[in-house]
Amino acid sequence: MSAVTGIAAVARFQLRRLVTPQRLTLGLVGAAFPAALVLAVRRIEPEIDRNVLVALIYALIPEAVCMLGLLVSMCPAVADELERGTWPHVVVRPRGRRSLLVGTFIAAVAWTAGIAMVALALALAAAGLGGSPGLAAMFAALIILSCLGRAALFALPAVIVPKRALVASVGVAVVVEYLAGFLPAVVNQLTVSLRLRSMLVDWMAWRRVLPAEFRLIIDDRPPWMQIAALLLLAATLLVVATLILERRQFPPSAES
Amino acid sequence: MIEVVDLVKHFRAADGSAVRAVDGLSFTVAPGEMVGLLGGNGAGKTTTMRILATLLRPGSGTARIAGYDVGRDPLSVRRRLGYLSATTGIPDRLTPRELLHSCGRLHGLDRSAAAGRAERLIEDLALGDYADRPCGRLSSGQRQRVSLGRALVHDPPVLVLDEPTSALDVMGSRDLLDLLAGLRAGGRAILLSTHRLHEIEHRCDRFLIVHAGRIVDQGTRDALVAGRPGGLEQAFFAALEAGVGP
Repeated sequence: MSAVTGIAAVARFQLRRLVTPQRLTLGLVGAAFPAALVLAVRRIEPEIDRNVLVALIYALIPEAVCMLGLLVSMCPAVADELERGTWPHVVVRPRGRRSLLVGTFIAAVAWTAGIAMVALALALAAAGLGGSPGLAAMFAALIILSCLGRAALFALPAVIVPKRALVASVGVAVVVEYLAGFLPAVVNQLTVSLRLRSMLVDWMAWRRVLPAEFRLIIDDRPPWMQIAALLLLAATLLVVATLILERRQFPPSAES
Repeated sequence: MIEVVDLVKHFRAADGSAVRAVDGLSFTVAPGEMVGLLGGNGAGKTTTMRILATLLRPGSGTARIAGYDVGRDPLSVRRRLGYLSATTGIPDRLTPRELLHSCGRLHGLDRSAAAGRAERLIEDLALGDYADRPCGRLSSGQRQRVSLGRALVHDPPVLVLDEPTSALDVMGSRDLLDLLAGLRAGGRAILLSTHRLHEIEHRCDRFLIVHAGRIVDQGTRDALVAGRPGGLEQAFFAALEAGVGP
């Protein structure tokens, strides 16, 4: 019970840090960007195919918006505490380190998913797809899964190199998600992007119409298996990050 | 209540060499005792306190809080230890009441117990006038009181306080040390560090003078200053000179 109350206390506190007028304004500006881009594309190409719009929204929201939101909210999990001098006061509590990481994870997922949902509503309206509840539900699921997977992925740089977490996370995103994720090899099984892409292809019934070369970067297993694999990957990453954080020691000079 | 035996801690310097921050410290602090840990910058005070607070692991030797080893059983130690860091580190947006409540929740107290404990501390530490004001708008002294409240939120029997008066004016220091005297009278074991020797000269039961990670002298104020004019400060300098060697 004490572990849950500690995690809840940190999550509530981190959400208060994230829900400030400045951060909300920044988030909403970011949320409006995909809709603006969709509008611009439709203006140039009024008869654009529905599937192209769906692919564009996928690239912009579950991928780009979620990634950027998590870079802002998850990467500073440890660095913020060190810089603000609150690190000793959190970790001196029983299970304080675990509560800090998991609580920040929950807050980062909630905040980013919230911003991404707003972006989704705006983008679907801009694309003229607002009347498709099935499409909205599919994207909502992809957003939540993207946030869970990527927040867990960014937890590793946050605990291993706290003061360089943002740069390291961008590197991880590029190398792991967008290089390894597109390699037609076993390594892409360990990426969030493969799972999300495969679910999108399945839920949109694109598998049959997909060119052969694209099938190499899609997993054939059914969506429930993609979800299970993604959740397992996220849980594993989070457990590893927690174990690393439990062992981390920062000399007093690391706080500034 | 605090037992430290042959405690050693190394850090790796930027050039790869090992820096011995704590070099074989041994001491105890009994319940109802307040002990001052004195030393210059880099003497090893903060590192020692951070090992006791389970923020750092000992390199070798043992440190026990209320009978629990800081390396082997950090959870039990954290339940029994109140730690005040030299950096106040208070979130600006939270009020003292919210902060104390959050810390209570981090200690696993349920909502009503955490709220009750926060109220009690607000009363005991006289935080009432500013309990609902964001901490970012509090003075240094007020923030330090809130920070002490945070250390006391789980009613620990042992307190480790790193420079608790550093940000305070004379009045604030006196009030805080009065508070600590009350906590000591309640049976708590207190280890505190400070650079302001005159403030604690007549407050602590004993003093440990450390230099380069080692205890170079220790004892009661009277034993340390015996035969020396100038009080504790002179005794401190004499101990450092003797500790540095010829």
